Amino acid sequence: MDRRLELEAITKRYGRDKNSITALQDISFTLFAGEFLAIQGPSGSGKSTLLNICGLIDNPSDGDYYLNGVSVAQLGVSERCTYRRRDIGFIFQRHQLIPAMTVYENIAYPLLLNGVTPKQIRHDVNQLLDTMGLEHRRKHLPKQLSGGERQRVGIARALIKRPQLVIADEPSASLDHQHAHAGLQLMRKLNQAYGASFLVASHDPFVIDHCDRKIELLDGRLETPA
Amino acid sequence: MSWLRIALRNVLHDGTRVISTLLIIAVGLTALLVGSGFMLSTYDALQEIAMRSEGHVSIIDDTPDPALGGAHQQLTLSHWQTLQADLWEDERVVRVLPRARFEGMISKGDESAVFFGSGVDPKEEFRVHGPFLRTDGILNPWLTPQETPDVMLGTQLARTLGATTGDLLILHTQNRHAENSEITVQLAGLYHTGTPDIDNHSLMTNLTTVATLLDTDNISQLSIYLQRREASTAVQTFLQNRLDGVTVQTWYQRAELYHKVKALYDRIFGVMGLIILIVVFLAVSNTIALAIHQRREEIATLSALGSSPSRIYANFILEACLIGLAATTIGMLLAYAISNAINLSELMMPAPPGKTEGYPIFIYISWPHYFITSVTLIITVVFASFIATRNATRVSIVKGLS
Repeated sequence: MDRRLELEAITKRYGRDKNSITALQDISFTLFAGEFLAIQGPSGSGKSTLLNICGLIDNPSDGDYYLNGVSVAQLGVSERCTYRRRDIGFIFQRHQLIPAMTVYENIAYPLLLNGVTPKQIRHDVNQLLDTMGLEHRRKHLPKQLSGGERQRVGIARALIKRPQLVIADEPSASLDHQHAHAGLQLMRKLNQAYGASFLVASHDPFVIDHCDRKIELLDGRLETPA
Repeated sequence: MSWLRIALRNVLHDGTRVISTLLIIAVGLTALLVGSGFMLSTYDALQEIAMRSEGHVSIIDDTPDPALGGAHQQLTLSHWQTLQADLWEDERVVRVLPRARFEGMISKGDESAVFFGSGVDPKEEFRVHGPFLRTDGILNPWLTPQETPDVMLGTQLARTLGATTGDLLILHTQNRHAENSEITVQLAGLYHTGTPDIDNHSLMTNLTTVATLLDTDNISQLSIYLQRREASTAVQTFLQNRLDGVTVQTWYQRAELYHKVKALYDRIFGVMGLIILIVVFLAVSNTIALAIHQRREEIATLSALGSSPSRIYANFILEACLIGLAATTIGMLLAYAISNAINLSELMMPAPPGKTEGYPIFIYISWPHYFITSVTLIITVVFASFIATRNATRVSIVKGLS
């Protein structure tokens, strides 16, 4: 299998010298193409920090990080932005939908950023809305949606550009069991349909049980061998 | 789906804050447009007064005549009748009015006063002044050569002398041979300009009376009135090249009051405009800064999705442009409505310094002027957002999402 993402001895420290706090220590693991990998761990274990580094939102203090075989650990703002725009999809814990935009516009936004033609945007977004059962909500604002619907919009927004890597941070945290289950099923379905690799941080056993593989973080260290 | 649509959605979503900013800009623009509309109408009125009193182009002989008195008594333009006849041949010319300035004492019984007089062509003189020179109690026929010549007095001068229409008065002056000269005249009527300095001392009579009194046919100035004021400079250049020994000036060169008032108003409205622009700048900066603070999470999300700092910058600038456009549209409509309401209501301004009468307020509505002022305001809005939006690109994604 192709290696989608590869971390080598990633360390993240905040602050300097004696007062520095180590959030991640020597993290190494590999995520393969099409794999659905769970990162398990209690609150404060460093899951979100790790996801931020994997999603090129944050820089590691030490170590190396390869995306599709290319070292990306120390890229500049502009290059990281390009990777995020083109290759990485995000599913946030609190969905992070843009409140002023409709469901359609929230989902279409990544395509607009990538310079996709209006015609193609309409086609892709309508197709995904249909797949996700959201077509009747296309003109609604996020505040008019239920928690489950917001999560589905968040998933659709992450997947609309067919990214190679999807990063999901506690995707079930703000949902009841039924919606969490439906959301997870949807992610798996799209994972199989589009072949995207998923990196899911969660401490929800139900989510973890549905992943291909899991790694466990504790106090910033990897407990389960990757 | 476009960036414009997204910007519009954000503007509409911001509601109260956007409305308050919009109103500040709109009211600022309204104040600028109404204020400058008043300023423009004042300039126009002053230009009109200058042109009507001096003509679009004036021919003057500057050569001092040592035999005559002060600056008001320089009757040095001779053979003007030939010049007048020649000028009538020019199709750009509508009227050519001779004016002879002279000064002296006027008396009625024991009462005397200094006067500054003008010998004029009575048929045309009052016509060219139009609404800027009001007359009262004119005898018919007036200012025509008769056994007892007529004279028109400024209202204040007549009051000083205690003279009323029909009274006989005596003009005393020195003629061009430096000899005392006097003539008895009949008061044909009164006029007033609203400027006390003029109304206190001025009088008008016909050129024949001046010629008799001063023993000369010379005049001080030949005032040329044109079909179009825009031709003033061309006619002035044409005449200056053609005529020797005289000075030819446009109304603009002779309009001292216009230049003084314009300089004063330019400063007043310039400061007012600057203050309004600063208020708009601060209001927009504050709105954008607040928006960035409140939309930190959204900015972080957009950055995480791959929006570059320049894209986020551009989005905020686009929002500011939309606010600016909406506000200037409202401001222009408001200014248009208020200007029309003021013009229709015929409100009067109090008498300005140096005047005895107020005048009706008129606000000019000039679309090019509206356009230029609005564009200036939009540029201020965009500049303010440009400065304030710099903070948006410094929002940390990690902190914004946490």
